[in-house]
Amino acid sequence: MLSLKKIFLVFLKIGSFSFGGVYSMVAFFERELVDKRKWITQDEFVESFAIGQMTPGPPIVNTGICIGYKLRKLGGALAATVGQAFTGTVLAILLAAFYLYMKDNLLLQAVMKGVAAAVVGLLASIVYKMFVRLVTDYRSAALAVAAFLALDIFKLNPIGILLAAGALGLVLYRRA
Amino acid sequence: MVLLKLAALLFLANALTIGGGYAMIPMLQQEFVDHYHWLSNKEFLDAIAIGQVTPGPLTVMNAFMGFKVGGLVGALVAMFASYLPCVIIVTLVTKYYLRYKELWAVRAGFAGIKPAVVGLLIAVLIFLSQGSLINQTTKGIAVISFALLTFTKIDPSLIIIGSGILGALLF
Repeated sequence: MLSLKKIFLVFLKIGSFSFGGVYSMVAFFERELVDKRKWITQDEFVESFAIGQMTPGPPIVNTGICIGYKLRKLGGALAATVGQAFTGTVLAILLAAFYLYMKDNLLLQAVMKGVAAAVVGLLASIVYKMFVRLVTDYRSAALAVAAFLALDIFKLNPIGILLAAGALGLVLYRRA
Repeated sequence: MVLLKLAALLFLANALTIGGGYAMIPMLQQEFVDHYHWLSNKEFLDAIAIGQVTPGPLTVMNAFMGFKVGGLVGALVAMFASYLPCVIIVTLVTKYYLRYKELWAVRAGFAGIKPAVVGLLIAVLIFLSQGSLINQTTKGIAVISFALLTFTKIDPSLIIIGSGILGALLF
């Protein structure tokens, strides 16, 4: 049986060296866990990825938790979670401290102006890709438009909107 | 009290993150920026940038926001609250995967939520762009960043770092 320390260390590596969003992380997971260490089979990896996609929570986080659980039950899930989050969290805390300390620095403000503009472009690209993938028929288009109007015009709470969309999904996508 | 609210919000938002990591953005923007004013819109965009340039999942942006709200303890509470629902849900689902897979209600509910996330993100995007695309240069950076990410396989971290350098040179 794998030790929790080993699970933690591999996920620490995955969490420390996977930049650039979901797909590079998935590739990294696969290389480290399936190809290199053979801790899980290709099929188990595909199933873990599927579970990550069909459970609430960030899919990549959930994929890691699922693999950890398959390796060593709850302890493995926790070791994978902490390992995966560790480096990013430490860096985010350091950057937050630096950011708040340097808040009035003109150079940092200039840098962040450029960064904020790029993040808008990044979000737009993600929304565009999600739109193409998810808005595929009149039902999904109606749900997207309704959610947009509910937030943009009627200023309803997004949490409430999502719960309502889930309830509508039960009605619209019920199997006969 | 603030930390309790922070934890409850992040727990709920992560439990409702359906359709990709970005699904939490509209919920967090509403609660952290609009409702509680813990962050300005600009700081929220900066938090997303931090989540993107740091390795690992976007979720670490919650540590950044938690730090802003309650210092080091706030950051740790934020991370704990963000991961807790995921650990609970995923361990249960992995255990009962075969039964879960057959639940039509999960599939139908998700099918309803995913397109709604797209609609919410469009609204948030419009809102966030109003405060940050303030002149031709910022608009240009946004368009280039959109085009690079949509049509090439370039790493988003590089685009954010590059635009930071551009910002330093241009503003």
